[in-house]
Amino acid sequence: MAFVLHLLDEAFARIAGGDGALVETALRTLWFASLATLFALLAGLPLALWLADGRTRARRIGLTLANAGLGLPPVVLGVYLALLLLPASPLGGLSWDYRPPAVVLAQTLLALPIVVALSAAALRTLPPGLLEQARAFGASRPQRALLALREARVGLAAAVIATLGSALAEVGAVVIVGGNIRGSTNTLASTVLLDLAASDTPGAIADALVLVALLLLLALVLTLVQQGRTRDATAEGLV
Amino acid sequence: MSAVPLAARELAIARGSRTLAQGVELELRRGEVVALLGPNGAGKSTLLATLAGLLEPAAGRVERGGRVAAALQAPALARRSVRANVEAALAWWGVPRDQRRERALTALRALRVEQLAERPAAALSGGEARRVHLARGLALQPDALLLDEPFAGLDAPTRAELLHDASTLLRAPERATLLVVHDRAEAWALADRVAVLLDGELVSGPTAELLEQPPTAALAGFLGFSGELREADGASVRLRPGHVVADPAGPLAGRVTHRIPEEDGLLCELELEDERGLLQLRLPHPGPAAGELVRVRIDGGVRIAAGAR
Amino acid sequence: MDALFDGLGDAFRLIVHGDRDLIATTLRTLRIGVEATLLAALLGLPLGCLLGLRRFRGRGVLLTLANAGMRTPPVVLGLLLWVALWPDSRWGGGPLAGLGWIYTLDAVILAQTLLALPIVIALTAAAVQAVPAALLDQARAFGASPWQTALLALREARIGVVAALLTALGTAMAAVGAILVVGTSLGNATLATAALTNWEMGGQNAAAVAYGTVLLGIFLVLAAALTRLQHRRTWAAQT
Repeated sequence: MAFVLHLLDEAFARIAGGDGALVETALRTLWFASLATLFALLAGLPLALWLADGRTRARRIGLTLANAGLGLPPVVLGVYLALLLLPASPLGGLSWDYRPPAVVLAQTLLALPIVVALSAAALRTLPPGLLEQARAFGASRPQRALLALREARVGLAAAVIATLGSALAEVGAVVIVGGNIRGSTNTLASTVLLDLAASDTPGAIADALVLVALLLLLALVLTLVQQGRTRDATAEGLV
Repeated sequence: MSAVPLAARELAIARGSRTLAQGVELELRRGEVVALLGPNGAGKSTLLATLAGLLEPAAGRVERGGRVAAALQAPALARRSVRANVEAALAWWGVPRDQRRERALTALRALRVEQLAERPAAALSGGEARRVHLARGLALQPDALLLDEPFAGLDAPTRAELLHDASTLLRAPERATLLVVHDRAEAWALADRVAVLLDGELVSGPTAELLEQPPTAALAGFLGFSGELREADGASVRLRPGHVVADPAGPLAGRVTHRIPEEDGLLCELELEDERGLLQLRLPHPGPAAGELVRVRIDGGVRIAAGAR
Repeated sequence: MDALFDGLGDAFRLIVHGDRDLIATTLRTLRIGVEATLLAALLGLPLGCLLGLRRFRGRGVLLTLANAGMRTPPVVLGLLLWVALWPDSRWGGGPLAGLGWIYTLDAVILAQTLLALPIVIALTAAAVQAVPAALLDQARAFGASPWQTALLALREARIGVVAALLTALGTAMAAVGAILVVGTSLGNATLATAALTNWEMGGQNAAAVAYGTVLLGIFLVLAAALTRLQHRRTWAAQT
């Protein structure tokens, strides 16, 4: 136990001392994850709105693909994306290899199926007649979209938070396309690997602790959002 | 073998923290069929679940002189074949494996659904599912069988057919049967005794006696005695439409306030003169117009003394 | 374009000719995924049933823990295990140092089992919870014991339970963060995912793409199986 306590002690000292590199890494992680989530939302929400009304074959297939995409191993995405970004490849002209934009792109692509699948699921829980009724009252397409987003807001908030959380913790694709370069493309999760490789165990633990703290904060926000919804719902006992 | 396989003594029932009824006394004897009536939300299903041992009594006790099985309201069949569903229930009940198939098929045959035995339960119609559900309860051969609205959710012809079959099947000398029913017609057709759960109390009695002579105004109101004739001594006579007869020489007169056309005639609501009360009676089509004066006499009804609840 | 097509072409050749390293790594990846999932199922199915079907004090907390566990960053879990397994230092070793598992395949399997376990628990609990209460009440009313009721619930929820196991298997094979921490310097005995993160862009593209493609193939098989299951579930719900 002395070993564990010693490590924790040093890690906390590192966090309390406001280690410059640690703060910088945490901010970079948040920045990458927020950007990726934002881009994924911009592309994913319209897609989810379209897919949620899954009455045509194309929409059902799209929904199936989004659901399947949730399980895509990040390293697979990473390796193909990295290949596309090689100087002599189609996206080579961007010169993004081993640079932050590549990391954000990888994170965005990973976040997209999460946003689409979870948002579509949230939108599908709306009462069946709601949008038809709005349409019967003459609501335009954008008005109906707004109504749907408003009604499903708790589920959508959960989708956003899940997306952020997975972007914060992701390590496979980030390391492959970003190269895990200290001070440029490393995130909290990938810095754990760097620190361990450099035999800086307290540093690795400090990274992990900050990451967990961020995720717990997200979980707390989600719980508060969901409690706002269920506060007045009464639970009737079953037989 | 006890003659009373199931009894409630000073029983109080509750759903969550809400007490629905207390002081419930009920004895189910072998060979009899008891119908349980009550308005929606009175706690009929809760009482049944408590008697079945699925819910703990809030107070008092449930005495079991034998094995009790309950068929709950939803037919709740697993996603397997009909026969597998019945056999699973027999397995839970503790019937040895080699007897299950025979007993399952016998019960399905009794309810005339043997030909559905190998069908997936999910593919049954509402009426078929009800029959399988009932067969499952009967197959167990419990000492007391509790049935929660066995005819719920069926269209009229399907229900009439099942009611017809059930009237003989539910009667067995070795079994006590309690069934929650939806209306008085089912109680008349099936039960020796009727128990009514109303306003947190259970009142029971022989079918004809309780349904024709309810002891309180509240029970009379629930049991279809919708008319009321106030008497000079403060007592009141509660009347069903059938107890009121149009008669030009009748002692009472009232004006028609509502006309509700029905299959068997026109249901008229009369407001009696001298504020004697409100009556309903059925007259042949086309019947009187609203506001017309109709003379009637009383033939039947139940007299409830002043001060009786 | 050359780099891309060369990479894809060489990768294809490696796969078709059955490159020895590739086959060994693929089999190892599959083996670890299956073993971890089986271990997780052994513990997780009973626990999931218990949490999904019984009402007891602390059930809510345990369900929350299982749900949160699904979101544990693999890197953090790996680091926890690393600390627990670390054999010796000036301050002694970790609590599990006696196992001697640091940097072994056993550690990798343990890590992936711990990642899969909350998935099995939470998804099994959700699946059996979705079984209509009326069905289970009816079984009890016909004298079913708690064991018989749990078996009935598992049987009725079988599609959801199989989906839970497939999801766990996918995660056990795709997640790379924990493996990189507790399984580094396994040398030749690496996994496909871990091998990819060590890849330097530009060099050995063929092997990297071959690994990525094999993983993609495994993912596609799992995703197809899950999709078929989900379609059967909607079909079953409709009839």
